[in-house]
Amino acid sequence: MSEEKNVLSRRSVIKGAAVGGAALAAGSTLSAGSADAATKVKGSTVKWTTRGGGATGDAIAKAVNDAFTKKTGAKVVAQQVNSDDFQNNFAQIMQGSPDDAFGWMAGYRSNHFGEMGLLADLTREIGHLKTNLPAAAIKGSTSPVSKKPYILPTTYYPWGLHYRKSMVKDIGMNPEKIGNWDDFVKLMTLTQKKGLVGYSLGAKGGWEAMGTFDILNARINGYKYHIDLLNGRAKWTDARTKETFKYFAQLIPFMNANVMDISWDGMRDLLLQKKTGAMMMGSWFANDFKAKSQADYDDLWVVPFPEINPKFGVDTIDAPLDGISVAANGKNISGGKALAEFWASPEGIAAAVKAGDTNIYVSKSFDTSGYDAFNKQKLAVLAAASNIMFFLDRDARGDFAGPVVGPAIQNFIKNPADINKILENVQAQWDALPKQ
Amino acid sequence: MKTAVTIPKNRNRRSLSKTDRLTLTTFIGIPTLLQIILLWVPAVVTIILSFTYWNGIRLKDVQWAGIQNYKNILFNNPLFYQALKNNGIWLLFFIVIATPLGILLAYQIDRGIKGHAFYESIYYLPVVLSLAVIGIIWNFMLQPGGFVQGLMGRDIGNAISIWGNPKINTWVILGIASWRHIGYIMLLYLSGLKSVDPALKEAAAIDGATDWQIFRKIILPTMQPVNIIIVVITLIESLRAFDLVYIIYGSPTIFPLLNLLVFQNFAGQGISMKGAAYAVILLLLCIVPIITYLRISFKEDLK
Repeated sequence: MSEEKNVLSRRSVIKGAAVGGAALAAGSTLSAGSADAATKVKGSTVKWTTRGGGATGDAIAKAVNDAFTKKTGAKVVAQQVNSDDFQNNFAQIMQGSPDDAFGWMAGYRSNHFGEMGLLADLTREIGHLKTNLPAAAIKGSTSPVSKKPYILPTTYYPWGLHYRKSMVKDIGMNPEKIGNWDDFVKLMTLTQKKGLVGYSLGAKGGWEAMGTFDILNARINGYKYHIDLLNGRAKWTDARTKETFKYFAQLIPFMNANVMDISWDGMRDLLLQKKTGAMMMGSWFANDFKAKSQADYDDLWVVPFPEINPKFGVDTIDAPLDGISVAANGKNISGGKALAEFWASPEGIAAAVKAGDTNIYVSKSFDTSGYDAFNKQKLAVLAAASNIMFFLDRDARGDFAGPVVGPAIQNFIKNPADINKILENVQAQWDALPKQ
Repeated sequence: MKTAVTIPKNRNRRSLSKTDRLTLTTFIGIPTLLQIILLWVPAVVTIILSFTYWNGIRLKDVQWAGIQNYKNILFNNPLFYQALKNNGIWLLFFIVIATPLGILLAYQIDRGIKGHAFYESIYYLPVVLSLAVIGIIWNFMLQPGGFVQGLMGRDIGNAISIWGNPKINTWVILGIASWRHIGYIMLLYLSGLKSVDPALKEAAAIDGATDWQIFRKIILPTMQPVNIIIVVITLIESLRAFDLVYIIYGSPTIFPLLNLLVFQNFAGQGISMKGAAYAVILLLLCIVPIITYLRISFKEDLK
């Protein structure tokens, strides 16, 4: 920290020498400002919101916030909120009297609200953390429109094909080798023959099946086409999009009969109770396997979704990036920024990991040497991809992803034969959106 | 002519003392003011917003959209027609089955059939629960891995699809909604029946009228004010249905209802003024039949 300050003041001095007295004065106010910020933070109260996570979430928040208090002398008042409610009422909460800092999501969700002036600009904080952050994480946290970061990246997780090694062995296949489409179809077919679900999917919440669509589209048409499609530069009625849904339709006969009845937790339970061959999901649920038993956790495995088009291989992955944002309307913005920076700093990460956080941090300081086999495999799955998507509802605008694409995928699963009409509707609704 | 006009005016004035006027102003003025501020102003703003594009955050971002939102809903969105259908079935089901059942129960209980107090409390019990709580209860029982599925020996892998099955979910949801609606109507009607003069019924019975004739020719007409309330309540309850389904599904699109679409497009991450347009459509659907019905009923009364 002190070194950072030195750099700053040295820079301002040089600037001052070059431009003259006025700039020098500005430079000194700048450093006085940051010193002010430090004293302002000390003894102040910072409010923190944990987004879901139950008892573990609270324990992690307490560990990190206590370490922050010890370091800065600022008091932290933390609360945990229901993740979905917080997300749904986000704009209202941010316009009211929000907590100063909170866990949030990168991509459209932070960029949009940052551009609308609801999230604080964290350029200075991300600058402090720069040496520890990979360029991709910084890029992923920065709005392509305003070129400012509104989130400090902390964790991410891969969306991959999850299955249980013991079940794959049971049907006479090699669990290490679910690599191509044929292996995948064979796995589903043989599991189904045993009276189980070949490919489990939930769509009750409207977003779960987006994961399957994302990866199919990226595998068949590539990352660029997918991102273009979500941002209106490619058409939903394009033959390439239809091709993706052709593959999607091939999966439907392998699915559970109650896709519309279950959400992600139902999918998790199907795998936990050994009732499904494979499922496409974010690895965040692995903690629940561990909570059930070590044996269940050791049996869990994840691989990249199999290759379909050799042109693209397995070069793309959904790996939503999470981080810490600061409310622009908070009562203690400097405190919020300091707390956010601490959460994303090596010290904060160490405190979180010690308190039982099993997430993968993007920070280079994050030590993975003590990782178990499953977590190492998660890293391998991430490393296999060179293009990172953030998941459909973070890569596309909010008034399109939830109200239009989600129900379209639900309708498709219900009536796959109607796909042409469904895609025409999606395209028409995209065309009717106001420019942004 | 002149005097004829002035006399009632004088009479009016005489009957309103200073305190009277103050009371009237307070009791009519304040509610009217609140009504205008809390209901009519937002309603008018919603109508205006339904002709715009806006993400609900900064006022300066509001853009004029003309009828684009309505065009989009009417021509490009299959969800709207699914919702219209679901609300329509809901309304028909309530009018044809649930509401008449409530009336029938009230009539039977009022006649003092054996154990009527027991039936009365049983049917009334669901009414004290909010539809959100009812949603939680039934979801807990019927969802995959739920209590009833467990009793049938079905786990999450082979659970019967209920909420996601378009062949039955409508009827299950309407059954649950009726579970509460029947009791509500019963109670309303019962309170009306208590005020019907028993002498009327006795007289009709002495004249040789059957039970059905008494109900149709004596009770139904004397109950006209309650009937109006019940018809209006049935209409509103069916068209504004929201909480039960939202609690069960957690998302607005597997069993779409107009109110769910208002919510999805007017709040949260999916906000756009399409939500306002949905709200205006819903408002029209509620107001037009209700006003028409009320006008007809009051005209009959005047005759």
